[in-house]
Amino acid sequence: MKRILSPCSMLPLAFLTLLASLILPSCASLPPVPAGPAETSATTRSSLTTESHIVIFHSNDIHGRIDAFAKVAAILDAERKSGADVFYFSAGDNFTGDPVIDRYDPPGEPMLALFGRLGLAVVCPGNHEFDYGMGPLRRFASLFPMVSANIEAPAGAFPELRPWTVLKTKNGTAIVVFGLIQIEPGNGLPSTHPDKVKGLRFSEPLAKAREMKGLRASGQVLVALTHIGYDQDLLLARQMPEIDVIIGGHSHTRVDPAVNVNGVLVAQAGAGNQYLGRIDLRLRDGRVVEKQGRLIDLSQVRDEDASIKSMIAKYRRNPALARVLAEAPREISGMNALGSLMTDAIRQAHGLDIAFQNNGGIRIGRLPKVITLRDAYMLDPFGNQVVEIAMTPAEIRSLIKASFEKRGEIELQVSGITYVVRTDGTRQVREILLRRPDGSPLPEDRTYKVGLSSYIASSYSFAHQDPGRSLQTSTVDDLILYLEKGADLELYRDVVRAVWEKSPGPSEN
Amino acid sequence: MQIKVNEQTIEIFAGARVEDVLRKYSRSEWMLVRKKEKKVSDRYGHEVGLDGELIGGEELMTSARVPEEPHS
Repeated sequence: MKRILSPCSMLPLAFLTLLASLILPSCASLPPVPAGPAETSATTRSSLTTESHIVIFHSNDIHGRIDAFAKVAAILDAERKSGADVFYFSAGDNFTGDPVIDRYDPPGEPMLALFGRLGLAVVCPGNHEFDYGMGPLRRFASLFPMVSANIEAPAGAFPELRPWTVLKTKNGTAIVVFGLIQIEPGNGLPSTHPDKVKGLRFSEPLAKAREMKGLRASGQVLVALTHIGYDQDLLLARQMPEIDVIIGGHSHTRVDPAVNVNGVLVAQAGAGNQYLGRIDLRLRDGRVVEKQGRLIDLSQVRDEDASIKSMIAKYRRNPALARVLAEAPREISGMNALGSLMTDAIRQAHGLDIAFQNNGGIRIGRLPKVITLRDAYMLDPFGNQVVEIAMTPAEIRSLIKASFEKRGEIELQVSGITYVVRTDGTRQVREILLRRPDGSPLPEDRTYKVGLSSYIASSYSFAHQDPGRSLQTSTVDDLILYLEKGADLELYRDVVRAVWEKSPGPSEN
Repeated sequence: MQIKVNEQTIEIFAGARVEDVLRKYSRSEWMLVRKKEKKVSDRYGHEVGLDGELIGGEELMTSARVPEEPHS
């Protein structure tokens, strides 16, 4: 690609520094541009070419799906060899979704190593970047520029994070990138377990974005790298025409081609490494004059980087999955025992009164005496979230009745109570008795904190006034924690907490 | 939170994903999307993944998946 250097690029550095100090006072109210490996000296406005071409590749919501990285690497390498200015951005949620990555020791490390090989230029944290805790996240941010303007941390708690950063092309064109993360309307936190973000403060992303308008003067290209969802990205574009490109994530939206809203190019590349986003920016005299974005369907790409493929194969043989979580006195077998174990784990993890697990979510018939991480994922492979719903006894009966009527048999395993379903000879439910673990009737005059898998919460038709809320952990995470903490596995011998009585009897409660 | 699926309002737990609300709307529709016979799109016509996270107020539509011309 032809590059024409301006006369300014020939000037001595000292003069350029002085010139920059005169040009940049419009940034005085903004946070200082943090020093970083991707930056050079203060040549922001002085070394412009008359024409240039920048290619930004981008991913979002990879969620641990690393297999397509060999193809991503081949695409990036080919483009870099062409001589173009090539960058690779991540719009967050790289973690959580594949045990190979999530349970690596240390967690997420394969993703970081692969990003290193791919030359990741900048990342904004998504809500699931917090799932491993602050240690792994800070390591991520120490290796790659991490930006988010609406996260505030106490001094020393997260020094690696910056609101924005500046990337430079070979000829000195400055690409200013600021980040934003979503927050939930209810608690004002990103969608992760609240314990994971303790001490951090989050502000409303679109309001914080307005404070970033001044960044327009700091470079030739202004990019918002966001994890706020496509709807919010569109609102951001409408309120801030100063932005050249919004590269988004969170809603897993496949935007192909990228759309122009209010003069702002809005892009998002689906999820799970199925697509790689590509944005082409053409600049003339320091201004973006043409921009377009499209997605590359990685399933259609044949070229692969052999060394990256080899790395992925090595990670797939993750030895961490063989880690022993617990040793039971004997095998734990059958729906009753395994379901009791799984529901006890949910109930204990969140301090709930009651928890349910459907039989369809129990995917193996027995756990061996020596229980490994792999066994836990084989037992509960779906990644269902835990949902808490406040329920009355009548609503709990409604749930049990709905579950029984699915197949005319006991379908829900339980912790915190036992229950009896009484039917007539045609399997019509006549009565459901709820009892506390000591056998006494469950008090009827209160509501209970009930934990369900997201599958039960969304696919069973039952009465409940409280719509409920995700607790931002998965059922298998709770199971692993329960086993690691040394649960008494003797409890799961001959345990039966849900009983079907075919003959109708007198009402107990 | 409330999400519209094919113009029907669905009340679903906070923090639900696309697949949760789709399953609540219609289990058979969810199965068709899982089998890639149908796809889910947002109100702008962009396809969204089953793992896509929702914040409330979104509108989703399901439709038959039309094979696309591959590009790379």
